Amino acid sequence: MSTIRVRSAASYWLAVPAAAWMLGVVVVPIVLLGWVSLWGGRSFSPASPLTFDNYSKFFANKTYLQLALSTVTHTVMLMAVTGVVGYAIAYFMTMKVRHPAWRLVLFLAFVVPFWTSTLIRGIAWVPFLGVNGVINQALMITGATRSPIEAFLYSRFGISMAQVSLYTMMAAGPVIYMLNNIAPQLREAAMTLKAPPFVVFWRIVFPLTLPGVVIGQVLVFLNVMADFATVATVGGNKHAMLPNLVLLFYEGSQHRAASVVAVLLMACMLIGVIAAMKVVDIRRLGADR
Amino acid sequence: MDTLAHTVPGNEAALPAMARPQLDLELRGIRKRYGDFTAVDGVSLKVAKGQFVCLLGPSGCGKTTSLRCIAGLEEPDDGDILIGGKEVTKDPPWERDIAMMFQDFALFPHMTVAKNVAFGLEMLKKPKAAIAERVQQVLKSFEIASLADRKPGSLSGGQRQRVALARAMITEPRILLLDEPIGALDYSLRETVMLELKLLQQRTGISFIWVTHDQNEAFSLGDLVVVMNHARIEQQGAPEEILQRPATAFVASFVQGNNVFRGRVVQAVDGLLKVETPAGSFLVPGSDCAIGSEVSFSVRAENLTDITGDHHLNRLTARCTAVEYFGSVRRHIFERPDGELLKYDQFGAHAARIAAGQATVLGWRPEDTVLHTGVAA
Repeated sequence: MSTIRVRSAASYWLAVPAAAWMLGVVVVPIVLLGWVSLWGGRSFSPASPLTFDNYSKFFANKTYLQLALSTVTHTVMLMAVTGVVGYAIAYFMTMKVRHPAWRLVLFLAFVVPFWTSTLIRGIAWVPFLGVNGVINQALMITGATRSPIEAFLYSRFGISMAQVSLYTMMAAGPVIYMLNNIAPQLREAAMTLKAPPFVVFWRIVFPLTLPGVVIGQVLVFLNVMADFATVATVGGNKHAMLPNLVLLFYEGSQHRAASVVAVLLMACMLIGVIAAMKVVDIRRLGADR
Repeated sequence: MDTLAHTVPGNEAALPAMARPQLDLELRGIRKRYGDFTAVDGVSLKVAKGQFVCLLGPSGCGKTTSLRCIAGLEEPDDGDILIGGKEVTKDPPWERDIAMMFQDFALFPHMTVAKNVAFGLEMLKKPKAAIAERVQQVLKSFEIASLADRKPGSLSGGQRQRVALARAMITEPRILLLDEPIGALDYSLRETVMLELKLLQQRTGISFIWVTHDQNEAFSLGDLVVVMNHARIEQQGAPEEILQRPATAFVASFVQGNNVFRGRVVQAVDGLLKVETPAGSFLVPGSDCAIGSEVSFSVRAENLTDITGDHHLNRLTARCTAVEYFGSVRRHIFERPDGELLKYDQFGAHAARIAAGQATVLGWRPEDTVLHTGVAA
């Protein structure tokens, strides 16, 4: 078997297709976005030089700032919920389900929905949450409520419900991986050193799964920050997050404003990822073992 | 019942005459099944204070499962476990007065060496300053003080072993359970580590329960050696007892240097049994056997001789197939008339008398023959 030496010309050529693709569909458009966000006029011309006016306009508008703030708080809330629920699912599946067949069944139950597109899964919540939806009907049949609860659909609550179902497995997946990598002897060793179960979890299991938790949180953070589709479908037009604002400006042909919001959104995401990397060095994942 | 049955003679003398000796550990008929598989089948064991016990047996014999039952990592289906006289059968590991050393050491990869060692004391809720001081002491005494801030991932096998031992010993448990504790070490390190562990055990007076499949470990370390096979104890006793007087055919064949014969008793005279085997008829000391009963017996390789005299009443002719020279021992492998192998050890550095391919008459005294009277329990 022949191998390719790391520094040979061939290894660089192998990187070319992927690099060209990334350059064309990621780097160039981002640079363009940044450029457009700095335009002084409706199109670029020598008469209207590049300026930060577009950004000033955004930051001068209280409504936009509030929208940005609520996007961040909503995302943080969702990270917390998916983090806790996802960790519980991951822990249950790896530590409590011992039978391989049951593990497979549960794994499939969690994974099969991902074969459908995120958009469809988001929209699927509409008939659940609506006034005549499954939840309201169930509540009325059981007598828990007399009249349907309107607050489920087209509300923050509805958006959160849908997004928790969409993104919980993103938080759980990396944790499952990390939990599976913890040798059972580590927990046993802690137990024989007089650590009761919760202490074993807190001192041994949780720290060892922390990289998985952080990766999961990053995935949820990026997805929720960028999710305009669920907000638009389940939230109706009563609710908006930053990405919906991008869409709104774009549909109104306000390309500069759309670019400004897009750039700010990306900046937020970048800061989030950098912060996560500070907590756990993801590149050193599992290197301690 | 004599609870001292298995203590070493030296320990017995040290005990006050009237005091009923306290047992560090007692197993009463513990049983553990996994589905159809019986891992431990009625194991009973008494460990006196400060005893070094080796559980010896082939893989799958139930020795590790027994150890895990003592640790509380497995709950036996049947039987009782007493630690220091207190019944703990249903107690979880963290409530038992034990510590355990795992085969791959199971160091916590995200903690430094110092943190690993401190863990047990932190669980005992000792004051912070006391923990720090004690950890420093222990790190020093195990010669790992220079590794205090390193993570286990960057340590060698020998260093990890020391850290694991320090971590287990720092809580000063009544019993230390060791699951093949030197199995993961380089061969060259093992002898040194074995000696260190033996000295440590003697110095601290903590009972060691050491699981191994290596008889050299078991016989050189154990005050009490417990030989297990098929989930049961075949024989327990001092190393000399097991080496010189194997109780069952399994023990005799598992322990190095025995020649095992199986046959039928045809005659009993004056405390000697005449046993007919496929390799010939031999005289074996024993009296309690009915004529016609099936028995097994063994003779140690060093008790054979090729210079037979009148008292070497047991004789057979065999062909030498190989000679192995170990420095102090020259081991000859013969093929018995019944096709089995026969081992004959000659001690001393004198010149070889028998060459491979040569047929020789080998003899041994009846009193050097051991009748297997035990039953696995």
